[in-house]
Amino acid sequence: MKMRTNWVILLGLVLLILENSIVPWLVPPAWSDRLLPHLNFILTIFVAGYAGRHTAFLFGLGFGLLQDLLSYGHLIGPYGFGMGLIGYAAGLLAGYRNFTIVVFSWAVIVFGIMLDSIVYCIYKLFRITDLVYSFVFYWQVAPTALLQLLVALVMYVPVRRYLVKPAVSSGDESPE
Amino acid sequence: MVSAIFRLMRNKRLFILMIGLIVFIALMGFTLGRTRLTWPEKFINDAFGTVQGVLYRPVGAVADFFRDLGRLSDVYKENEQLRMTVAQYTQDQIRFNELETNNKRLQEALDFTEHQKNMDNYRYLIAQVIGSTSNPYEKTITINRGSKNGVKPGMAISTVDGLIGLVSKVKNFTSTVTLVTSLDANTSKGTPVSASFLSKPDSFGIIEYDAETRTLQMSKIDEKDKPAEGDKVVTSGLSSLFPKGVIIGTVKNSQVGDFGLTYTATIEPAAKFDHLREVFVIVVPEVDEP
Repeated sequence: MKMRTNWVILLGLVLLILENSIVPWLVPPAWSDRLLPHLNFILTIFVAGYAGRHTAFLFGLGFGLLQDLLSYGHLIGPYGFGMGLIGYAAGLLAGYRNFTIVVFSWAVIVFGIMLDSIVYCIYKLFRITDLVYSFVFYWQVAPTALLQLLVALVMYVPVRRYLVKPAVSSGDESPE
Repeated sequence: MVSAIFRLMRNKRLFILMIGLIVFIALMGFTLGRTRLTWPEKFINDAFGTVQGVLYRPVGAVADFFRDLGRLSDVYKENEQLRMTVAQYTQDQIRFNELETNNKRLQEALDFTEHQKNMDNYRYLIAQVIGSTSNPYEKTITINRGSKNGVKPGMAISTVDGLIGLVSKVKNFTSTVTLVTSLDANTSKGTPVSASFLSKPDSFGIIEYDAETRTLQMSKIDEKDKPAEGDKVVTSGLSSLFPKGVIIGTVKNSQVGDFGLTYTATIEPAAKFDHLREVFVIVVPEVDEP
């Protein structure tokens, strides 16, 4: 299966803008530093599943760096590194396994936790945060991963319908 | 042994991963603690900032409208409170005018220079918030004022309630603001904010944020300035770019500090740090270079 690359990149840009402008208003005030969904991460997993690991790597790297640049307060690079790596890893997984909705859901959860952990480790390495991992996990990583799963499932049908070029058959989850 | 290393090197994936790791660590180290931006960074930030602003502000207005609807019942009580505050203010105004004329007269008598006279004349630049990011360790907001409007890195940002952050990166038409919530003395981020108690202008302390209790900590308070519960804490303005007297919060409780020689106070922040729409950039008058 192939993806419509131009449209995916356009959707990526739109999601990035939405993430910085609309999502903060949708999250209730008490949860505003706990629920921080990364919409482009979800799109990276889609790209990994339908377009292969190399495309996903470049996609994750590019949009990760763009996101780093837009939130540049201390350093540039954590999301660029994390999302590039995760794009490649998810692509590898999609190569071994049939990319069904169950595999996809697990990928969003596990890689979401991985991404936030990588970013945490980088900030810990540069001594920008001194929180302990167990607190960060309970406070931000776990709720964010669950919310990302929800958003990913909402996006699943539209992305498959409009962005994935049907190769063998369209619509249903047939093996390649 | 050597052949094992060679075999490892032949694994292209691992090799690229290592190179990537090195490149990224170099990039992160290089961008850490930098204040000047290159023009592509400024351009990308300004472009995204403008588009974000188009969405962020109307959505914020709608969200605030619905929140206000929910709080409609509190309006009566709030109105009563405000009326009392206004009465208080009119009385204070009379006293303030008298003191100000007195102060001016004395400054003339003592031959204050023009700069010394204008030291406390801060300019409040209103700015709209046009975005906030989803990075948990760099909670930054973007505002629609940049170097073309005279914003400089390190300036204080406040809402009507109190201090919320410092300008960290300045672009041509937008700036990034690091929130007070990412100030931390135990890490390598620098820019400590010094504070004092409103009732004791000579007192001194350093403000940092405690993410686990979601309060501010004021540490290194001198023994003779024992913090009292309910005391207002304001910025002390010891640096040249930082204004004096911006409200930070109120003291919740205090304890003896690390070595028993200083006090540490827990401070309830006065301002809210999320769902922001309008902020002020506080511009301190320029210091003429000697």
